[in-house]
Amino acid sequence: MRNMLLVAKREYLEQVRGRAFKMTTFGLPAIFAAILAVGYFSSLGIGSNRHLAIAADDPTLAQLLRSRILGNKDSKATVDVIAPASPADKQQLVDELRTKSLDGVLWVEDSASPQPKATYMAPSAGDFITDARLESALNKALVDEHLIKGGMEKQQAEQISKGVDLATYQVKSDGSVIKSNAEASFWKGYVMAILLSMTTMIYGMNVARSIIQEKTSRIFEVMLAIAKPSDLLAGKLVGVCAVGLTQIAIWLIAAAVLLATPLAATIMTGNLAIHISATEAILFPVYFVLGYLLFSSLFAGLAATCETEQELQMYMPLAAAPTWLSFALIVLIMNDSNSVWSVAASLFPPTAPVIMFLRMASEMPPVWQFVVSIGLLALSIVAVLWFSTKLYRIGILMYGKRATLPEIFRWIRYS
Amino acid sequence: MAIVELDRITKAYENKVAVKELSLRIEPGQMFGLLGPNGAGKTSSIRMMIGITMPDSGTVKLFNRNFDRTSLEHVGYLPEERGLYKKMKVIEQLAFFGQLHGLTAHDAHARAVSWAKRLEIDSALEKRTEELSKGMQQKIQFIGSLLHNPGLIIMDEPFSGLDPVNAKLLEQTLLELKDEGKAIIFSTHRMDQVEKLCDSICLINHGEAVVSGKVRDIKSRYERDHVIVEFDGSAEFLKSSEIAEASNFSGHAEIRLKPHGDAQKLLKEASAVATIYRFELVEPSLEEIFIRAVGGKADA
Repeated sequence: MRNMLLVAKREYLEQVRGRAFKMTTFGLPAIFAAILAVGYFSSLGIGSNRHLAIAADDPTLAQLLRSRILGNKDSKATVDVIAPASPADKQQLVDELRTKSLDGVLWVEDSASPQPKATYMAPSAGDFITDARLESALNKALVDEHLIKGGMEKQQAEQISKGVDLATYQVKSDGSVIKSNAEASFWKGYVMAILLSMTTMIYGMNVARSIIQEKTSRIFEVMLAIAKPSDLLAGKLVGVCAVGLTQIAIWLIAAAVLLATPLAATIMTGNLAIHISATEAILFPVYFVLGYLLFSSLFAGLAATCETEQELQMYMPLAAAPTWLSFALIVLIMNDSNSVWSVAASLFPPTAPVIMFLRMASEMPPVWQFVVSIGLLALSIVAVLWFSTKLYRIGILMYGKRATLPEIFRWIRYS
Repeated sequence: MAIVELDRITKAYENKVAVKELSLRIEPGQMFGLLGPNGAGKTSSIRMMIGITMPDSGTVKLFNRNFDRTSLEHVGYLPEERGLYKKMKVIEQLAFFGQLHGLTAHDAHARAVSWAKRLEIDSALEKRTEELSKGMQQKIQFIGSLLHNPGLIIMDEPFSGLDPVNAKLLEQTLLELKDEGKAIIFSTHRMDQVEKLCDSICLINHGEAVVSGKVRDIKSRYERDHVIVEFDGSAEFLKSSEIAEASNFSGHAEIRLKPHGDAQKLLKEASAVATIYRFELVEPSLEEIFIRAVGGKADA
């Protein structure tokens, strides 16, 4: 135990003092925040400032449509109206699209019929935001026109077709009812799941890289004459785990301090109104430790069979598969976090840490599911450690070439 | 009391027997040479001695007890494959090794400083290992294996890569440790080094002991049939019927006599054609003994 702790302390100090730790501790959240900010702010202007033309056989409908488009404050569009429009106008509008004088043309025919025909032409085929806005505006304008023809005032007609906002509330298991924001919940779960999977992978790979470096430097021959292989492996896993927990603690403290500032209070509203509960703050490091131990135990064993980091890359898909699977299930989880598939994925050890956080963002799972998921993770860690220690004991003294699969099976049998 | 006692240990890997029925005994205050060509089984034997690998059969005793890991607290090991933590400062590295061997942090630090002064590398203590030359790193590893004052010191090729001055310094240190009563195992394929340092040896080839015992006893078993001649003049005498094999290096000849060859007759023949400065009948070297023992079929 003493030697295991000494190895862990050495590993911890070396990594915490290293440049990589400082870079990831301060750089990773900064990069992450920058990516989210760029994504968010760039999306604010999508589909805006378009120069559009509405060409219709019915001037009233054309004006109502223009009014609807201009009424959308996000679109900030300039809208020309050509009504009634002739086939010659169409050719001229197409020419203007070609020369980029116009960004889009909405052509409406058979306005008097119950099903008017509408065509949107634009130089860009991927502007789905403008497509959606025009479709919505056209539908509302048609309703407006019918209501006005039926004798209603224009203002009243517009008010009716505006629709209503749906307020959402979540009824919790203790009977309390709180205002909920599905989009904010989604982003919270998504961000925590990404942070969890990234830290787990980064520190798991750190263990693997460190083993390969020590194997390359031939330090093992010295260390094995002093300490047991199991102490060396356990010391490394504990040391690197402590580095990860230190980093998470720094992030949590920094987040708590930042969220307490008045600036954060003004920013974190609406869809950004993300609140992390005490349960989530406790379970995040717990699932990090479990996920990390499962991942790094496996990779410690595999790293001992490799000679270089390039050889280790071969096993990368194995490392990334649980993360890919977890994020592939994201829509299913957010849609119904208590479905059989959601529960099964949150109990399945390789995907449990990430899926549990996605589920928590939507609805807090029952306690028994946490107990089972943590229990299964712990059992898996023991099983993987048993397998990895066998590989590690032999692999760290094998130099020259990467072990083949038959060799790996033989090592497991021998040790 | 035997510090090390191997009793017919055998270790085989998939398709190779690395060590076969090897037995040896090392006493306190003894410098023991484990010799053999590369791949002969020296490192495999040492690994079994200190529990890095386990023998398939046979027993290992350290300090008169069947092997258990607690014995390793009294063993210092310098492996052939040198390895240090490159990013660590030298003093931290040495203190770490000392603590792993059971010393307190304070003791490990104090001993590291003392040994660094003794081996003239105290100026490097605050440097990172990666900043040092290979020779310096080797001295650090040498110190790392001695910090806990072990009763058994195992040195696998300790002088490889060292310049003559540092090799001499380490050699002198090992002799001092021997005088303090430590048992030292010195594994190498450089038989000339062992010859002057070790009291006893075990020559290994293909994992088997081919010659073992006290150096003096082993040498006395062989006839003094080697002659070293330093001369000036004709080298015609090297064609003498008394000579089995001769090498001439411009006035320095190394000669092996035929069985029962007459050295006195050769001296007369030589002095007749050249001026003789040195004519010395010498014992065969360990290398020569090894070659004779394996019949010229060494591993490497």
